[in-house]
Amino acid sequence: MENELFMNTEFPPPPPEFEPPSSSSAMMLNWALMDPTNPQQDPSFLWEKSTEQQQSIFDSALSSLVSSPTPSNSNFSGGCGGGVGGGGDGFIIRELIGKLGNIGNNHNISGEIYGTTTPMSRSASCYATPMSSPPPPPPPSASSNSQIMMNRTTPLTEFSADPGFAERAARFSCFGSRSFNGRTNSHLPINNNVVNNSGKLTRVSSTPALNGLVSPELAPMIPGGEFSRKRKSLPKGKPKENPISTASPSPSFSKTAEKKEDWSGKGSKSLEEKVGKRRRDEEEDNVDEEGGEGNKNNNTKPPEPPKDYIHVRARRGQATDSHSLAERVRREKIGERMKLLQDLVPGCNKVTGKALMLDEIINYVQSLQRQVEFLSMKLSSVNDTRLEFNVDALVSKDVVMIPSSNNNNRLHEEGLQSKSSSHHHHHHHQQQQLNNIYNNNSQLHPNNMMLQSPMNSLETSSLARSFTHLPTLTQFTDSISQYQMFSEEDLQSIVGMGVAQPNNESQHMKLEI
Amino acid sequence: MASSDKTINTDVPEKDVFAIHFLQSLSNLTTQNPFNSPDTTNYRARKIKKAAYVSMAKAAGGSSRLWSRALLGRAAKENNKIVRFARRKRKVTWKISSKRRSDQRAPEATDRLRNLVPGGGTMETSKLMEETAHYIKCLSMQVKVMQCLVDGLSPK
Repeated sequence: MENELFMNTEFPPPPPEFEPPSSSSAMMLNWALMDPTNPQQDPSFLWEKSTEQQQSIFDSALSSLVSSPTPSNSNFSGGCGGGVGGGGDGFIIRELIGKLGNIGNNHNISGEIYGTTTPMSRSASCYATPMSSPPPPPPPSASSNSQIMMNRTTPLTEFSADPGFAERAARFSCFGSRSFNGRTNSHLPINNNVVNNSGKLTRVSSTPALNGLVSPELAPMIPGGEFSRKRKSLPKGKPKENPISTASPSPSFSKTAEKKEDWSGKGSKSLEEKVGKRRRDEEEDNVDEEGGEGNKNNNTKPPEPPKDYIHVRARRGQATDSHSLAERVRREKIGERMKLLQDLVPGCNKVTGKALMLDEIINYVQSLQRQVEFLSMKLSSVNDTRLEFNVDALVSKDVVMIPSSNNNNRLHEEGLQSKSSSHHHHHHHQQQQLNNIYNNNSQLHPNNMMLQSPMNSLETSSLARSFTHLPTLTQFTDSISQYQMFSEEDLQSIVGMGVAQPNNESQHMKLEI
Repeated sequence: MASSDKTINTDVPEKDVFAIHFLQSLSNLTTQNPFNSPDTTNYRARKIKKAAYVSMAKAAGGSSRLWSRALLGRAAKENNKIVRFARRKRKVTWKISSKRRSDQRAPEATDRLRNLVPGGGTMETSKLMEETAHYIKCLSMQVKVMQCLVDGLSPK
């Protein structure tokens, strides 16, 4: 079928050679005006084909565009003459838009560009398709370049009627260029940014003709572009991530397929959002923690599953080096967590600064550890006679009520066996019962509210020290639903009750094991 | 006492979870070493401390936290017991490589923190902060439980 198209268009395969930019613009015109010679082309079909093959063909298409042989020039010179006048610039710009959209692998942009014209164009449906479907990796085929080029010009020529489209498209092209030059503040140093990019953007860098094409064409649009950029710094809510940073030469960036989707996903958004300092706060919301430390590839759409990359957009006036971006993200992560720690550690509100905060945190942790040590010493010295808990009786009572459904849990995994194995079988059983209770409770009630009951029973038993108290505890085990009423205050009150009781029964403190 | 950040989860189980684990380990201790032959207070205190840490690590969700895993691993090693955890995928971070590069640095605050928090030797700083937050919460819980116990069991 491609051959048919090829024959229809009667286009010779373009030789792969570059021409100076001055002639390339003329070639653009030629390409744009090719369509009238082939009325029987089916726009939708061509458009679909073109979208499918846009990616790989782009630079070869570009080269073909740039290096159109002179004979074709002569063929179309006649046709060119008429239509160059008014819509000439429009054609060029639209052609550029198409190319630029393909450069960024940003089909949403191109889809958008063409999608905006759907009301005007009769082939509205065909433009919907490229937007909806991300293009599969297209097979590189040099032979089909020519007709693909032509195919793409088909829808372009249909826009010729709309003068406003040219301006809009030019602005979009500014965005398009900015989408993959995202970290640039200036308008169109495409050459620099393109060269800096690796990966799939190197193709663009290899075509200096394009740069020559783009800059003069879009230069007049720059003020508009910048203005629109400022205007479009809308409160989209989600800040923009920098796709460029994903192209940095780090091994973890090598997932091109994923990048493709990210590009398409963010393309539409990058159109509307700008690089701004005040967006940094929002950006932290979108920093995906799952990303590797060096990767910036976040998808701003919340429903999308988190990918391995975190997108980061460079701030104004800051280094756009990938390493510095990574550093900045890392530092922000650390700062975020420092804030979290600040809430935990008492008395840290006055202290500001990372170093002092860290000192405070270290002091706090050390003090806590010392407290544990001190308390354990106290426990060992004071309670040597009282550390015998009647866990068994309590546990058995509770176990009767609560079916033990799951014996496999982390408590078993974590070396509890090591402890239990050294025990008498009786105690081993007791431990397992305890584990079962714990496991069941934790499974049934994630907040562990139900653990209050065995906990209460344990506490009170250890403190109550006589079996006579146990029957009173069974009322706690009657129904699980009752457990939900327990709160920490209840627990402490019960402990307090237990504390009060030893005064009366200190004689009978001893419990059986 | 659950606090949930948007991206950082430092939830800690309720106090009773800690209490159960601690009491359990204490009872294990007492059964292991009946008080008929009291060892030196120091020895017993140390055992209780170790039991406290181990029970804290278990209560805090044994293998879901790096520090708890490190603690339990350490304790198991002391007992010459092998403990297996489900391995989580560990990304080799360039933070670690940078740490190796600058071993000669003066003990920075983060390094001191690493020494304090179990398992903090091979974490990147952001992860270290998370672990520290969780560790602090669990430590304070454990301290509360122990304080309760001591108050309850001490003669009045």
